[in-house]
Amino acid sequence: MVAGSRTQPSSEQDGMSEQERLQHQLQIFQDSLPKVNQLAYQMLLNEMVPLAVSVENRLAQTEHVNNSETIDSSGDKDTVSEMVRDLHISPKLDLPSHKLCLQLYEAEEERKKRILERLRSMGFQTGNKLSELLVFSNNPNLTFKDMDLLAIMKFICRDVWKQMFGKQIDNLKTNHRGTFYLFDYEYRPIQPFALDDQSTEKELEMVKPFLEIPVGVIKGVLSSLGYKQEQVVCLASYIDRPADRPKSTFPKGISFHVQVNK
Amino acid sequence: MSSSSSLGGHSKSLRLAGEDIWKNKTEKVNGELFTLMYGSIVSQLCRDYQRCFPKVNDQLYTMGYNIGVRLIEDFLARTALPRCENMIRTSEVISKCAFKIFLNITPQVSNWSTDKNAFSLVLVENPLSDFVELPMDAMKQLWYSNVLCGVLKGALEMVQLDCDVWFISDVLKGDPQTEIRVKLNRVLKDEIPIGED
Repeated sequence: MVAGSRTQPSSEQDGMSEQERLQHQLQIFQDSLPKVNQLAYQMLLNEMVPLAVSVENRLAQTEHVNNSETIDSSGDKDTVSEMVRDLHISPKLDLPSHKLCLQLYEAEEERKKRILERLRSMGFQTGNKLSELLVFSNNPNLTFKDMDLLAIMKFICRDVWKQMFGKQIDNLKTNHRGTFYLFDYEYRPIQPFALDDQSTEKELEMVKPFLEIPVGVIKGVLSSLGYKQEQVVCLASYIDRPADRPKSTFPKGISFHVQVNK
Repeated sequence: MSSSSSLGGHSKSLRLAGEDIWKNKTEKVNGELFTLMYGSIVSQLCRDYQRCFPKVNDQLYTMGYNIGVRLIEDFLARTALPRCENMIRTSEVISKCAFKIFLNITPQVSNWSTDKNAFSLVLVENPLSDFVELPMDAMKQLWYSNVLCGVLKGALEMVQLDCDVWFISDVLKGDPQTEIRVKLNRVLKDEIPIGED
């Protein structure tokens, strides 16, 4: 049966079933991989935003104090209390996450830029490695023979998004000259965010930093497949959801505008 | 199987409850994706703090704390477990239910202190550090999975248990096993509104 379908790739019927068989195999492979709870994953993902703010705060603090204290690991520890402090069993805690997010909203331009850059960087690294993970998963949708930019974008829309956010991108538009629009009407990680019915500008603005992670992911995937970070511009913005889509908890869809310069 | 009826009992039913929730009531994602996302976070922190690893440890811990205080809500809603009467029970809930439900692992509980207030969780597998290898300079000081300590600290605090949680050893550092120590400081009192009494 397998041999038969190989010899007659032109036959539509056989080609389909072969494709389905490979699809099925991929599914079995994916299911066999170790798993963790989606919630734990999503909380970690979303916690990157307050984390990035907190890092910025702490870096600013040390700069402010401007003490060039280096960790003195050579000196021997006399007292127990010193040893306990060095163990860092219970370090000083941060502000709660929502306060940190509010800080980000109120931060001045320069600070905000650095924080968002940090978020994009974390997304970038994730995307960069994620593509390796997906490429080596025997995915039948991937052929590397004449893999053009469009095929890569499709790969992002389908495989990367499915892996990271549990769903595919809803719509992909392109002018075939390096400009792409990726529409996700229900970007998963922000769905549990409760906003008022008449979502105010402020609230939407506060959610925006969470979109920098997928922006970084897109750039990371493109970079690992040969499009350098400097060549790619990627921006995320809100769009209205089409009227025919069922109402979801978050009122806006997300549009990722990707521009690849040769 | 009705999970609520099985939750009242002892440790064995706790394990069954944990497995049932993991198998039937949990949405799952690829563990490798989880691993490499966490890896991106840690490596970004190492870069931001210019490889000053104690600072990275602290940051991971506080990040975990902020996750833990929210994660406990989902845990309680999912398991409908009542309050634990002692630390032995708490340790079982943590290892057999909590770790099972969120990370699909069951750490072993060991090394009880004589007053039964401190115990160790031995992680045979750790999804945060799968296929991770630390560079030489990080091996000395970095507690790679320190976020776990923070999560435990935050979650336990929300159920009125003031604990210290820290890593004792980690296979990434060349230790024979990965061990987290949990020590109860005190049980926080339920606050009663003024004028109620």
